[in-house]
Amino acid sequence: MAGLEESGPEASSPRADPQGDPFLRTRFAVPTRPATFLRRERLVNHLDQALLTPLTMVNGAAGAGKTLLVADWAAGRDRPVAWLTTDAADQGCGMFWAYLLQALRSSGVPLPAEIGFPADASRVDHTLLARLAADLSARDRPVIVVLDEYDRVTDPEIAEQLEFVLHHAGRGMRLILVTRTEPLLPLHRYRAAGDMTEIRAAELAFTSEEAAALLELHGLRVPVPAARALVERTRGWAAGLRLCALAAQESPDPETYLKEFEADRTTVADFLLAEVLKRQTPETQDLLLRVSVLERFCPELANALTERTDAEPILAGLHRGNAFVEHLGHAWYRLHPLFGEILHAHLRVRSPLLEPELHRRAAEWLRRCGSLVETLGHGVAAGDWEFTAGALVDDLAIGQLFTGLRSDDLAELFSRMGPEAKSPATDLVRAARELSRCRLDRGLTHLRRAEQSLAEERPTADGAPGLAAAQLSCALLEALAARLAGSPGRAKTAAQTAEKLQEEVPTHLLDEHPELTALLMTHLGSTWLWAGRFEDARAALTTAAGCSGGASTALPREESLGHLALIDYLNGWLGRAERKALAAMTETARFGLPRASGSGIWLLVLAAVAVDRNELGQAQTLLDAAADSHGAMRDPVAAAGRAIATGRLLLARGKTRAALEAAEPAVAADVVSPWAEGHTALVASAAHLAEGRPETAAKLLQAVPDDQVACAVEAARAQLAAGRPVAAIDLLDSARPVGRTGPAVTVRASLVRAEAADRSGDSATSRRLVAQALHEARRERLRRPFLEAGPWIRPLLSTGPLRGLAAGWLTPVPSPHGGPPRLEDQLPAPVVEELSGRERDVLQRLAQMMSTEEIAADLYVSVNTVKTHLKSVYRKLAVNRRHDAVRRARELRLL
Amino acid sequence: MRYEIRVEGHMSETLTRAFPELDHVVMSGQTVLYGSVVDEAHLYGLLARCQSLGLRVMEMRQLPE
Repeated sequence: MAGLEESGPEASSPRADPQGDPFLRTRFAVPTRPATFLRRERLVNHLDQALLTPLTMVNGAAGAGKTLLVADWAAGRDRPVAWLTTDAADQGCGMFWAYLLQALRSSGVPLPAEIGFPADASRVDHTLLARLAADLSARDRPVIVVLDEYDRVTDPEIAEQLEFVLHHAGRGMRLILVTRTEPLLPLHRYRAAGDMTEIRAAELAFTSEEAAALLELHGLRVPVPAARALVERTRGWAAGLRLCALAAQESPDPETYLKEFEADRTTVADFLLAEVLKRQTPETQDLLLRVSVLERFCPELANALTERTDAEPILAGLHRGNAFVEHLGHAWYRLHPLFGEILHAHLRVRSPLLEPELHRRAAEWLRRCGSLVETLGHGVAAGDWEFTAGALVDDLAIGQLFTGLRSDDLAELFSRMGPEAKSPATDLVRAARELSRCRLDRGLTHLRRAEQSLAEERPTADGAPGLAAAQLSCALLEALAARLAGSPGRAKTAAQTAEKLQEEVPTHLLDEHPELTALLMTHLGSTWLWAGRFEDARAALTTAAGCSGGASTALPREESLGHLALIDYLNGWLGRAERKALAAMTETARFGLPRASGSGIWLLVLAAVAVDRNELGQAQTLLDAAADSHGAMRDPVAAAGRAIATGRLLLARGKTRAALEAAEPAVAADVVSPWAEGHTALVASAAHLAEGRPETAAKLLQAVPDDQVACAVEAARAQLAAGRPVAAIDLLDSARPVGRTGPAVTVRASLVRAEAADRSGDSATSRRLVAQALHEARRERLRRPFLEAGPWIRPLLSTGPLRGLAAGWLTPVPSPHGGPPRLEDQLPAPVVEELSGRERDVLQRLAQMMSTEEIAADLYVSVNTVKTHLKSVYRKLAVNRRHDAVRRARELRLL
Repeated sequence: MRYEIRVEGHMSETLTRAFPELDHVVMSGQTVLYGSVVDEAHLYGLLARCQSLGLRVMEMRQLPE
């Protein structure tokens, strides 16, 4: 596990979050306390308890003074405090943990590199959390972690994960949650065990003495009884008192003002904010209202919204006076959350039409200086789809609509785009969305429209960097469309166009988006594969499979490895196909990508391999898994792969009629795929043969292009069954297996020859050929050909040296009391492969009735890894259920 | 479903614009916001909005249709 992460480009501490954007440093900054901050010793003393309990919760309404209390306390620690202001924008677990890890690192908590970090915004590997907890638990002094505005975390999964880390970090971690609402943690458990420090609203409320002291900091002398009235009016609410002080400060007669306020009956914040706001200069008021559409801002961004240049002194002044804004460090500010909402309401009243325009200006500024995600967010808020789609396409980020990383978020973002938005970029986004759901016709309509308008666009004098990016995006979508249509000619043209365009696009964009090339090569390879051009396909797919780039290219890597596995399977190399298919699975399991995004071709290959090994239950499970979770990509290759695996499985189960139906090609494609046709004919022929119609079987295969060895072998089998051994041998001789053909084909060929020899009475040759077939098949556990061979082979396998060759993997180990082993006695199949150490670990825990999740936590590996181990344990033990696995393991004394 | 939310204090006209989907009436030291609520999520959203605006919710109840 650690090895994997170390080898990647992401080995050391990352500079970017899982979405590839730089971390917002402002979210790690402990907020600075204004000059008028009042330290309240009773709260500080209570908060000191936080060092003694794993969990501390500071809980109160907006403006209750929670954040400043904890910030002040944190600043007084003799050791670093990891501070993270959570953000509603990144709800994904991956983003949360990436930021939390970064918060730890930037506060100076050394974390070993092998903890790794989440690569996907929406998921986090459980083992990462386990490693983090283990590292924290080994520390002498606890690490203090503050999560501010934790109420923004609404995902119960994050709460669960936080609870897991907190629990397993033991004394190594002290967590302080600053929140407006009760968090989704099992608080009662912590309370009952006395493991929790709680500071709630009642305790945060100002006392009369404290209120008087606070007003004094603002230069207002108020006797305690008068302060008591104020406390009653505001219920000790910190923000209310602070606004009150600000308003009174600027009033000619503060004392009378305070009296009036007491008597007033309006809502506190509403009234006070309006009061304080109207005392600001018009410029300041304008700035405050406009920035209320932003989460955070720096002076330049504020200037972009006001179209003035005075933001810097205004913001500095507001911060000094502790009015409205908080300083986040690095010249970034935000509005106090409470005032932000009210200011937003004021903006809507004063300038109802300005809001979209402000979002548009923010989006434009962010496009130049900020992150793509924020740009897109404001672009959408402005309702400017041409701009938003243009930003995505110009950034060469269109591939992210497919790669499963941000694809869900992006799809959601653009799902609100109406038909009125018209630009090449919006058409490209529409085409991408349709094609990603395999709606070829609709996708092509949009794509053609985009191409047409791009062709009319002339490169402007300044080089129009967007044009090449848009054309490259077109080429990518064209390649995908070609793949879905099974059209190698179009895929090739698209790839050539893309190659030329890649020279025109800025290099840094290509470097930032490795998924573009990886996707392109996968589509090209898939199309070559469909057309039967295995060598061209292999070249393109190998390029895609070798792409670096971590999570962003995981999906194309999975797909290309799956396709390479299919090539091996079609050539008859089961072991190689299986290894590549498992590697494909590892690619996405590693990044926890959503299963549905790819074609799941590797599952189909594994299923087909399982059929050839006569592990039919396993094959069915794999096919079901492929049908359940891989709906997204329906290209001809996947459809043909499914038809082959399903047809062969049904044949093996003796359901010949169903096999005939399943093997029928259900795909429309521009060119005929020789292997897809060949295999359809093969299954059909085998079905007819099984039902005793060798003539029909032989005829079916005549139509197949003759360079397919597998079909020639099956045709020979049909000829032999029809009583024409000479014709059979002729067929085999003329289709002499070439070098690349693997055991799944050659073993079948040897068996046809052996049967012919057996029929002609040449038992020596027959034995020799069967022995050769057994030798070849043994390593691959290729059982199906022997089971299909017919009754003639049984006597051979049960006697002499052949019995030894078959025993242990094809036929049961002979019992000491003799008696001929029967091929039908296959089940329970013997263990043919040693269990690995890790598989044994998993099996032992399985026997202890532990759940998959528990095993994962216990072994510090991911749930997916455990599932992988379980799958191979099941396969090696030839069972389908955990109960059977345990029983079988006990029988074999593995436990 | 229809709901009414009673908050402490008189809300200004400006602040009531933060609840464009609700009607309001000001009475004896309280403001009553009332109107149709789409679903539970909307309801909790309204409560969160009250909190964000520093409003003190005194009462919330479902109204007969």
